Amino acid sequence: MQTFAIEPLSWPDQSAELRRKVRDLVARHVHPANPADRTNCWAVADPAFSRVLGEAGLLGMTWPKEYGGHERSPLERYIVLEELLAAGAPVGAHWIAERQTGTLLMRYGHKDECRRWVPGMARGEIYACIGLSEPNAGSDLAAVRTTARRDGGEWVIDGQKVWTTNAHNAHVMIALVRSEEGSERNAGLSQFIIPMDTPGLTVRPIYDLTGGHDFNEVFFDGVRLPATALLGVEGEGWKQATAELSLERSGPERYLSCLTLLTELIRAVGPNPSDSVRALIGRLVSETWTLRLMSASVAAQIAQGVDPALEATIVKDLGNSFEQAMPALIQAAVETDLSSDTALPIMLGHLLQVSPSFSLRGGTREILKGIIARSLGLR
Amino acid sequence: MNDQQNMVADMVNSLFAGLGPKATVAADWQQIEELGLSTLLLPEADGGFGGTWQDALIVFRLAGYHALALPVPEAVISARLAAGTCLSGRGTIASRAEGTIDGTTFTGTVHGAVASEGAGFIAAPDNTGGTILLDTANAKRTAATNPAGESRDVWQFDAAPAVRVADDVFALGAFARVAQIAGGLDAALGLSVGYVNDRNQFGRPLAKFQAVQQSLATFACESAAANCAAMGLAQALDRGAASYEVAAAKLRANRAVGVGTSAAHQAHGAIGFTQEYALHPITRRLWSARSEFGGDSHWAAILGGLVAAAGADRFWADLTALTD
Repeated sequence: MQTFAIEPLSWPDQSAELRRKVRDLVARHVHPANPADRTNCWAVADPAFSRVLGEAGLLGMTWPKEYGGHERSPLERYIVLEELLAAGAPVGAHWIAERQTGTLLMRYGHKDECRRWVPGMARGEIYACIGLSEPNAGSDLAAVRTTARRDGGEWVIDGQKVWTTNAHNAHVMIALVRSEEGSERNAGLSQFIIPMDTPGLTVRPIYDLTGGHDFNEVFFDGVRLPATALLGVEGEGWKQATAELSLERSGPERYLSCLTLLTELIRAVGPNPSDSVRALIGRLVSETWTLRLMSASVAAQIAQGVDPALEATIVKDLGNSFEQAMPALIQAAVETDLSSDTALPIMLGHLLQVSPSFSLRGGTREILKGIIARSLGLR
Repeated sequence: MNDQQNMVADMVNSLFAGLGPKATVAADWQQIEELGLSTLLLPEADGGFGGTWQDALIVFRLAGYHALALPVPEAVISARLAAGTCLSGRGTIASRAEGTIDGTTFTGTVHGAVASEGAGFIAAPDNTGGTILLDTANAKRTAATNPAGESRDVWQFDAAPAVRVADDVFALGAFARVAQIAGGLDAALGLSVGYVNDRNQFGRPLAKFQAVQQSLATFACESAAANCAAMGLAQALDRGAASYEVAAAKLRANRAVGVGTSAAHQAHGAIGFTQEYALHPITRRLWSARSEFGGDSHWAAILGGLVAAAGADRFWADLTALTD
């Protein structure tokens, strides 16, 4: 039994040069006042930095030039992503648009909608959010109740989404809604692209346990959309949304949310740490090294046109467990005054609080393990 | 895998499946010799396969998968280390040497020599780095076994001729164990999945219980991690220096052993604990392999020390430079 395709990885020839470009850019532009902003950095929005990345040609790297992309390989894009995350750069504003919304739009969307949104995404000016979860449809996504009904040549959306990350920064949402009246479960669902400034759409903040503002409620009250807003085939929304989840789950952000904490630990303990801290660093580096290979091999499979849905699920589950365990392991290994105002305790204190969300966002641990179990032939 | 690798994998897979945990060097080594498997890593010009470490991964992983009781990885590695020397016969490797090297002779003790009865020479770690190759002609062997019942002998050498080579047998031994762990975990996972689908309790197969599903899903993730670590290390060895990757891969594979063997035995219940059932030849080898050629504390100290000494600003740059 072999669950993970273990093909050897070939990295692009120009990797080192590309890395240098990203590192220079980060060194010039990223100087957060609060060290906590260097942790879990793909939830930290900085539109100015997103525009810098867009100008440098580092967004929409794999997209066609027709839509402002750069036609680079998925592994080149992967290198840029891992460099930004490892540096703790604030990439939250554009992250979702660049990761999945733009790609999905070009795969299924009407040409007019692609022209309207994608070039701005590649410039780092247009941001997106994901309309999946609803009050009674969390892990059980097929329970969505938000509706779309035809009215002449238009669609009218009514209902509510929740836990919508980045909705307060976003210009656009791709939502999964019920387009066939009376349909049940994963039948009769469709995807729509919805401008966030459409009349009838309201965004309300939900503050997290640290007081941070990451997710929101989004209400639709008679939101009218043109026919071009339908993505792909009416009624095929479920299939399209699950393909979207492969994009959402496969990236290096699923194991790197705490990497800057490990870097900060190495800085704090210096070149000759105690045996126990040295052993912990060894263990965490071993996990990082392995997860990096696993995550990159998923990117390589995407580059070959394979949908590595299972591999992506495995990497997300392992990656989340790793990044979630790290803060507590570091807290146990070094005596830290969490009320002090130096970098390590600030980052640690923040991550101890937000890391429980790592195995919730983008599919809970239980859902992921269910997918893996099915692939093993257990369900 | 390329076509040639697929061919080797098919051939070796059926051979090892037939030999399995009951094979003995005395009765079955001839079959390995006939295939010329020991020459896997020798150049074609010298009559070898001209294989890479990635080819070796395929063979070593299958040795782990089938709980093969023959010292194939050890013969492959020692033949590679002894290339160009006048040492002959079946070679094997050992995990520890204590003693002194005086010019071209070694006096001391070698521990953990794998299935070394009848071996012509032993490749043992040189404590100053690299490897010493020792002719067994006038040395004394004391039999010893690991918890899996695998032969791990102790040898006494008295001014024995020693050839020093630069390649590090300890690191290569660790690679062999990582590859075998990767294979062994996949085999134990396969047995576990098969068992929980067959076994009924409370009127349904065990596989239909969510607790069982989640446990084996966790196991599958660990198995995947060990296999990827093994591949990452094989690629590093093919590139050249791999001290960082050996430490990282052995640590990761060792971690997977704990999670995987627990899940496998838990899924099997009491039957997995019996001598007649096929799980223990795999799991007992996995527990032994976790210590052989460096346990967690050894490799964690090395890797952690390496990274701490380089400093925070080099950490990520050094990690990515490994593959750039």
